[in-house]
Amino acid sequence: MRAVGSRILLLLPVVAVFVLFLALPMLTVLNESFRTFEPGRIGSVAGAPLTTNNYTELIHQAYFRYFAQTYLLALCASLLAIIFAFPISYYIARLAPPWMRKASVSAIIGLMFLSALVRVYSIQLTFGSAGILSPIMSAVGVNTNGRTYIYVVIVAGLLHYAIPMSILILIGAIQNLNPRLTEAAQSLGASALTSHLTITIPLCIRGLVSAFLVSMTLGISAFVIPWILGRGRVLFISNLVYSRFSEVANYPSGAAISIVMMVLSILLIYVMSRLATSLDRT
Amino acid sequence: MITKRNTDALLAFFVAAVIAITAVFLLFPVIVTAFIAFDAREYIGPFPPTALSPKWFGRLFHDPYLWSGFKTSVLLAIAATILAAAIGALGALGISRMSPQWRDLVTTTFLSPLVLPGVIVGFALLMFFSAFIPLPVLPKLIAGHLVITIPYTIRMTLIGLTGIKETLREAALNLGANERQAFFTITLPLAKNGIAAGAIFAFAFSMDDVATSLFLSDFNTYTFPVALISLMRSKFDLTIAAAAVVLMALTVVLLFVLDRVLGLERVIGQDLYRA
Repeated sequence: MRAVGSRILLLLPVVAVFVLFLALPMLTVLNESFRTFEPGRIGSVAGAPLTTNNYTELIHQAYFRYFAQTYLLALCASLLAIIFAFPISYYIARLAPPWMRKASVSAIIGLMFLSALVRVYSIQLTFGSAGILSPIMSAVGVNTNGRTYIYVVIVAGLLHYAIPMSILILIGAIQNLNPRLTEAAQSLGASALTSHLTITIPLCIRGLVSAFLVSMTLGISAFVIPWILGRGRVLFISNLVYSRFSEVANYPSGAAISIVMMVLSILLIYVMSRLATSLDRT
Repeated sequence: MITKRNTDALLAFFVAAVIAITAVFLLFPVIVTAFIAFDAREYIGPFPPTALSPKWFGRLFHDPYLWSGFKTSVLLAIAATILAAAIGALGALGISRMSPQWRDLVTTTFLSPLVLPGVIVGFALLMFFSAFIPLPVLPKLIAGHLVITIPYTIRMTLIGLTGIKETLREAALNLGANERQAFFTITLPLAKNGIAAGAIFAFAFSMDDVATSLFLSDFNTYTFPVALISLMRSKFDLTIAAAAVVLMALTVVLLFVLDRVLGLERVIGQDLYRA
């Protein structure tokens, strides 16, 4: 009895914060998303009639493009991140000498802690249209003002966070894997490549899926990266929500976009964790 | 001819190439920024800089707009870190005493803001506060930062608590300590590294947040990242590079403290099979 009481007391502050600053505000958003918006006002009027227009207008092609851009670029970055991160994690977890391991882990955690602004500014300074690599880019015939190049730079921005994050997650996964399994395969005649493809990767599938999922979630909620690196020509859903607030003050529409974005994220997490369970052979 | 030896050599080469490319990709832009912040030229010219000077740092420290943002950010990060560390640590202790089937559900609920886009948190809080509780900017910012930092303090405290055997607390209780004494002499000292690591994460993410703070800031009270990003959008000045170097220095300090407090190797976990 006493134990139950102390447990509730311990959880009380965090529950209060979550109810007051997360659950209630989210309900406000949900409520707002069904309200009629009158142009020229800031947000919906109190007691505005209910409507589903804020959702149905999102099916329009102009909005679809924001969603498509966000999801496709985040998908590219997440796939590239695990492809690049996997060999590096394997090296750090299994092959690197202790000093190298310590140095790389420090560098990777440092890169994770690095401010998003520093990241974006550095990428802009290096790869941007006025960046220090632009003479080289134009020398090899890359149009730094083209839309494709902007896409590439945004993916680079996303990767700058997604790669260190994925490496950390995958190191954990690889450390839990028994190295005797690949050694057995190799002593039975398999090449290093085959043994990794048939043993290491399938057994790390949970780690790979969670690295992908974390990169994807961060990618689709990216705000600063597309805002600066997209140069106003490529925007993500987050930027769309912000422009609903700052430019047109159409809160109901911004609320509807937020709700759709959240539902899509929950769906993604659900599908991916189901997929991980069905692929998992351990 | 494709032999086993060839494919193995190819694989080793491929791995080495991936490591080299990734290291260059991750580190080169950051090094460029650190160098160019000391550029003596008035414009962004070819790299490397022809002459070095610390003048951009002088301009940074004399810029009232950025300086005001910096003070707000430090104040906000300290307040949010203390509150988030205390609330998160208590919550994690509560969670760790739950039965296993509840523990997972409750943990997932409290970690959920990690997958919630910062823009949505900011937007929701803005509408909620303006509709129901009119508050000054700073308390609103603290509320927003609590939501985004508490998941880290809960998670790090839970990681810190996993190594502690429940039997230690039970032994203290058996030897005559009451709940309070057991908490302050056994549980808290053992959990303190996890709590401290959580506080470091909270500080780092509070200092870094743009998306949530942007909604809750106004023209008088705004955070350092909000000030920097509006500067970044209006002009491409090297004062920003100097600010970036200051933030990098902060990262290094936090990294050093984290290594002291928890050990960086522990952040990635133990290798079960490494000799």
